[in-house]
Parts: sequence; structure tokens; C-alpha cells
Amino acid sequence: MRNVVALLLAGGVGSRLNVLVQYRAKPAVPFGGIYRIIDFTLSNIANSGLTRVAVLTQYKPLSLMDHIGDGSAWDMAGRTRGISILPPKTGEQDWDWYKGTADAVRQNLRFISSDRYTEVLVLSGDHVYCMDYGPLVAFHKERRAQVTIGMIPVAPEETRHFGTATLDGDRKIVDWQEKVAKARSDLASMGIYVFDRAYLTAALEKTKDEDFGKQIIPRAIKEALVYGYPFEGYWRDVGTVQAYWDANMDLLKAASGLAPGACGIRTNHAGEALPQDRVPAKISASARAVNSAVSPGCVVSGTVEGSVLSPGVIIEKGASVRDSIIMHDTVIREGARIERSILDKEVVVGENALIGRGNAKKANARFPDHLHSGLTLIGKKASIPPNARIGTNCVVFPMVGRKDSRSFSLADGGTAEK
Amino acid sequence: MILAGGRVDELDVLTFLRPKSVLPFGALYRIIDFPMSNLMNSGIERVGILSQYRPFHLINHIANGQPWDMVGRNRFAVILPPFKGRGASDWYKGTADAVYQNRDFIRMYNPDLVLILSGDHIYRMDYQAVIDFHIEKKADLTIAFTAVPSEGADRFGQGLIDDEEPRGGKVVRYVEKPRKALYDWASLTIYVFNPGILLEALEENARKESHEFGRDIIPSLIGNARVYGYRHTGYWGYTRTLEEYWRTSMDLLGDRPRIDLGAWQIRTNLAHGEIRDMQPAILGPSAAIEDSLLYLGCEVRGKVFRSLLFPGVRVEEGAVVEDSILFFDTVVGREAHVARTIADIGVRIGPRARIGGKGGELSVIGTESEAPEGVTIQPGVTVYPRVEAGRFARDEYRSGEIIK
Repeated sequence: MRNVVALLLAGGVGSRLNVLVQYRAKPAVPFGGIYRIIDFTLSNIANSGLTRVAVLTQYKPLSLMDHIGDGSAWDMAGRTRGISILPPKTGEQDWDWYKGTADAVRQNLRFISSDRYTEVLVLSGDHVYCMDYGPLVAFHKERRAQVTIGMIPVAPEETRHFGTATLDGDRKIVDWQEKVAKARSDLASMGIYVFDRAYLTAALEKTKDEDFGKQIIPRAIKEALVYGYPFEGYWRDVGTVQAYWDANMDLLKAASGLAPGACGIRTNHAGEALPQDRVPAKISASARAVNSAVSPGCVVSGTVEGSVLSPGVIIEKGASVRDSIIMHDTVIREGARIERSILDKEVVVGENALIGRGNAKKANARFPDHLHSGLTLIGKKASIPPNARIGTNCVVFPMVGRKDSRSFSLADGGTAEK
Repeated sequence: MILAGGRVDELDVLTFLRPKSVLPFGALYRIIDFPMSNLMNSGIERVGILSQYRPFHLINHIANGQPWDMVGRNRFAVILPPFKGRGASDWYKGTADAVYQNRDFIRMYNPDLVLILSGDHIYRMDYQAVIDFHIEKKADLTIAFTAVPSEGADRFGQGLIDDEEPRGGKVVRYVEKPRKALYDWASLTIYVFNPGILLEALEENARKESHEFGRDIIPSLIGNARVYGYRHTGYWGYTRTLEEYWRTSMDLLGDRPRIDLGAWQIRTNLAHGEIRDMQPAILGPSAAIEDSLLYLGCEVRGKVFRSLLFPGVRVEEGAVVEDSILFFDTVVGREAHVARTIADIGVRIGPRARIGGKGGELSVIGTESEAPEGVTIQPGVTVYPRVEAGRFARDEYRSGEIIK
């Protein structure tokens, strides 16, 4: 794999994740207790034996850069291996920002210009999966393809979110549709592309195409040898709040196929930059903790059921958390009850507050596309006052209530903005 | 300089294959993490670690000092093993000899003071406060003391300290391991030395038969140098016997634990044993856990009460673990029952096995041993490391038996 260079597109805004991406790019969104979404792709890269990778960032890159550090958490630091972070370069004009995924690669063509590389592996940092890219690259070389796309079957109603393709007996792509409902095929692009380096360089130099899915790939299918590589295994695009919640909950199901520890997914604990290591999780004598994932530094004295807890979460006596995702250092005070909610980092939920119960059919009034399945989102560092009532499909923006302790409540589908 | 070499007979199978300083403690740590973190938090970042007994795990754990930020142009943590010199240098013949053989290490850095610690206690101390005391008193040697524990006083060096002030005073008398409690203060084997006095005393001691700080160096300095005692009033946890180790471990539990790990700011090496690559602990639908600690990589489907589970421990459905300490990657099979037991790294306890019991003596199982399905091991049984299931000839073992 030493002649393959990887480009990880980590600029995605992921706007459908709503307040979870208010301060961070989608790949940096925490996942599964201790991970961030990008850990899956970074670990796959390392575990596949790739040694050179560039991470192309753009949108709110700070937490992502802290997290990646020097790459040593993935064993990607050394003389012949490394992770380079490539932010957009500001040239003479401020519209030098990346105009799309292909444009981002075009602006960094120099990174892949070395003759050492025969293939370029283009990946996205938005997906949760374990994959060895070795067989994919081998398939690409065997077929002498110019482009090979990683593909996975999806439910027919999901095709509108993906590029879809029909393959012939040799797995050559003979038909391609970009994000259409009721597509002719349910085989979806995973956003993983192996390019012949010369072909990719030429395609980026001779066109002004800005996007892989919309332009480069459809053009390649017309003019070049493009193959599809079907992947079997766990893969999720966690682009919506519901999909994100579902994938987190898969961690609790032994049969789901999501087992990050077993398939070698690593994260960067040092990225938290704490003065000490997180202490062991403590389950107190008064606790009831079942069917949940618990991280270091958690103190559970109340009830936790069907939930995923990131490091440092405190659930006090008499409080209960059900079917929820609670991120780093959030505190649930005595008697508070949380259901079907996602609480970002450092949220404080006051005594006896009630979050997430209500009529799941009442979509969020302001973001009906984001919250309509009965989940509630609480933004980073929000403070929910004691006795507050927050219904389902609600959004509380980051920092709400932090400085102003007036009580507030939200009916189903409500939004609280700072 | 940390004296981290020894193994301890009373800890039995737990120190067969490792020096005591890397004995796991507190569901995540190794004992040496406590002095190492204390050093880091005290701003002392030039550390030599003296070790000779099976040092591999210690070397692996200390790595390059990076877990404690002891990497830099003026910061380091290095292991100092015994070496062959042109003369008689050989294995360390005692704590004083270990430091004596590394006197060039001390001279090379020409320090203002030398702090000597042992790597086998559980405590938090700001060594800077001891050093300030030492400097204020213009002492040649300052020894940290704690109140003599009610039992086993004969295992400590005991001192009579002048009542100069709350922090301590001159050491008037000192006796190493007397038969009974003579004085109120027990040495913590934490010494602040002026390097000149230290090197002189070591040079003189080198010509003698016995080479221990407590037995030889300290008594030789009382009356001949300015020796002060510093009273440590915080928590002090001994781990010299199995029972002591177990009791100190249990001080991590309860609603108000005596050992407050969060406040103590302890660091360990998460790369050791690949702890950092494990996933969050998974508690299954049938799990019941009370008053216990656990870490990444644990999977609990049974019941766990008042116990410590190190990373990677698995407790299967129907199993019960109580008042026990299970080191890394130990597996407790279905419907097994484990009580008052310390299981070392990678132990396998078969389904329906019964190990230990409430009230009785502790049971200990050495690393990577396998208790077979259905076996009964009564309290107070010792299983050696790497005993395979096939070596268990009987269905039941009684208190005091040793399985090799």
C-alpha cells in the first residue's frame, strides 16, 4: 500500500446534524462514547497499511486538528508515514475556499504529485465503518481500472441520499444516478474512490469540476473504465440525527456488527488535553446501569438504560437516562429524567428537569427536516434549569441558560436559542 | 530516584513475574503511577528509576517518560538497571547499594537535592512542600513520616520527632523495624538528601556488609547530621501484604472514597497493554453493578458488587463477582461465583466455578491461569501463574492449598 496515497475529505458541514455541528465539522462529532466520527476512517487507513494521508479540512477545523494531533494515536507519525492537514489556502482572493470535494483535491494537487504514488484513495470522514482498503485497491489494480468506487446496498427509500450504480458481471459500472429517489439500483456509493493517479490529475487539470459525486464520477463513467467494489459489512452514513442515534445504539447490540474495539478503531485520548488520565468509571451502590456503554470518568449513581455515555458524565442519585447519548462531562442532577435525547458536551441538567418525553409526531417547527422522529437535541454547554419541561423533537442551542438562569420549558417541537 | 526494584514475598504470586512497582492498582493504574504522578505534579521532572527484578514490564510502562510529560531537553524518566563495571559492580545488594552504583548518574546532573522514593505506596504528596521544609530547616536529610499504623508496626522504620512545629522537626531517635511500636512516627521511605551528605554516606556504607537506607544509612546519620522529620497527614496506603493491598484497593470504593483519584490527578501509560485502543465498557441487559469501578474494554453481563474491574475484564451472564479485584483481561464464565479474590492478568474462570468466599481469607489466582468449569476453590487458596485447567485434579480445593 506504500504506493497509494490517501486523501480524507473532512470538510463536510453535516448541517442536518443541527447543533451538533455548530462548533465542529461533522467528522469531529463525538461518537460511541469515546470516538469521533473521523476515527473510523483514520483507523481504517492505518489498519490497511497506508502510510501517507492528507486530511482536507475547511469548516470549523479546530477541534478536528486538535483531535488528529501529530497522527501518533493512529501510529501515523514517523519518517515514512504521516498525516498532513491541508486547510484551504487563502490566495489573493477570498474565494479561494474549497468549492467542493474535487476542487479541494485540485487545490492540493501537489500533495499527490509524487511519482511514488500510482493510486489515490479518496475517502470521506463522515462514515462509521470498519474496512480494509487493501482488497479494494487490489481489485482496482486487477481490473486495470481508472476509477473504482466502494459500494454498499441500501434500502430503496434511502437512494435519494446517495449516488447509485448498476454493475455488469465484471462489476464494471454501466449506469449511474446521483441522489435520486427510486433509483434504478440500490447499490450506493460509499464515497470511497480509488483513482489511477494519472487519470485523477488529468481530470482535475482539464476540467473545472468541483464535486466528485456530481461531476467527476459521472464524467468518468462516460469516458473511462470505472468499476464498483461491493463492500459487505457494517457501514452507516450518520448524516441525520436519527441515523446518528441509531448507529450509536448499535454499539449496545451484540448482533449489530458494530464493534469498534474488535476491529481496531482507535481514538486520540490525549486530544482532550486533560492534566490527568480519566479515572475509572464508577457505578455507585445506588445505581442501576444496564444495556449501556460507559466511558472512563463517568459516575453513575442514578439509573442509566439503553444509553451511550462519553467520558466524565455524572448521573446523580434519583436521576434517570434512557435511550440517550450523553457526551463528555455533562451532569444530570438529582431527580432529572432524560429520554431519547442527545446531550452535547458539558451540559448541565438541573434537578427534576424532564427532557425528551412527548408526542414524537410533532416535528420541530424550525427544523422539521432535522428533528421529526422523536429525538431531542441539547447543544454544548447548555444549562437546563431545575424542573424544566422539554418535550420531544426539541432543540436547545449551545450555551442556552448558561448565563441566564431564568426557568424555561419547551413544548414538543420547540427550539430555544440563545 | 525511585527504588522500584523489589518483589515482595508476602504478595506471593502477584510479584512472581513483575516487580511490585508495576503491580496493577485501582482498576487502571500501576503502583508506580502514584509516585510518578506526584513527581509530575510537584514539578520534579528528572527521574531515575532503579530496577532489577524482571524489569520488562516496568520498562514498557515507563516508556520514555512521556505519559508523565517527562520528555524534553531538561526532563526525563530513565530506568537504571544494574550493570557490570570494571570492578565488582553487579546486582544491587540493597537500596543504598542501588543508589551508590548510580552515583555517577547523580553527579552528572549536579542537583541541589536528591529525592529518594520507593515505588510501592499509594498516596498523594506535594514533594515540593517537603523540599521547602528541608531548605527552611537547613537540613542535610529530611525523612517523611506518617503516624504508625496500629498493626504491623514492626515492618517500619520508626522515628521520634521533635515537636518544633506542625510540619515536623528534628529526628531525635530512629529505629529500623523494631519488634514493637517504639515511637509514634513511621518512615515512608521518602528522603530528601543534600547530595554531598548522601554521596559521603553511601561511600562509607559501600565498605560494609549491609546496604539499606533504613537499616544502615539513616541510623548512621542521626546525631551526625541535620536529620529532620516531615509529617505527612494525608492518606497513606500500604500494599505490602495481600490483605493490605486488598484493603487499600477497597479505599477506592464507597460514597466517600478515602482515595480520591480525580483530585489526585494520577496519570498512567494508556499505551501499556493497548488500554487506549479498547472500546467503552459495555453493560449488558442483565448486568447489575453496585459500588464498583471499571474501565475501557470491560463487558459485564453478570453481577458485580464492591469490586474493581481493570480494562478488558469480561463477566458473563449469571456470574457474580463480589469484593474482588480482577486485573486486565480476566474472564469470569457464566454462573461462576467469585468472592474476595484477586485474579491477575488474563485469568480465565470457568463456568459455574466457585472461587473464594465472604469472610474467609483472600484467594489469589496467578496470571493467565485457568480455573476449570465447576471447580470449587475455598477462601485462602493460591493458584500459581499459568496453571492450565487440566492441572486441576480435584473438584474442590481447601483453604491454605497452593495449586501449581
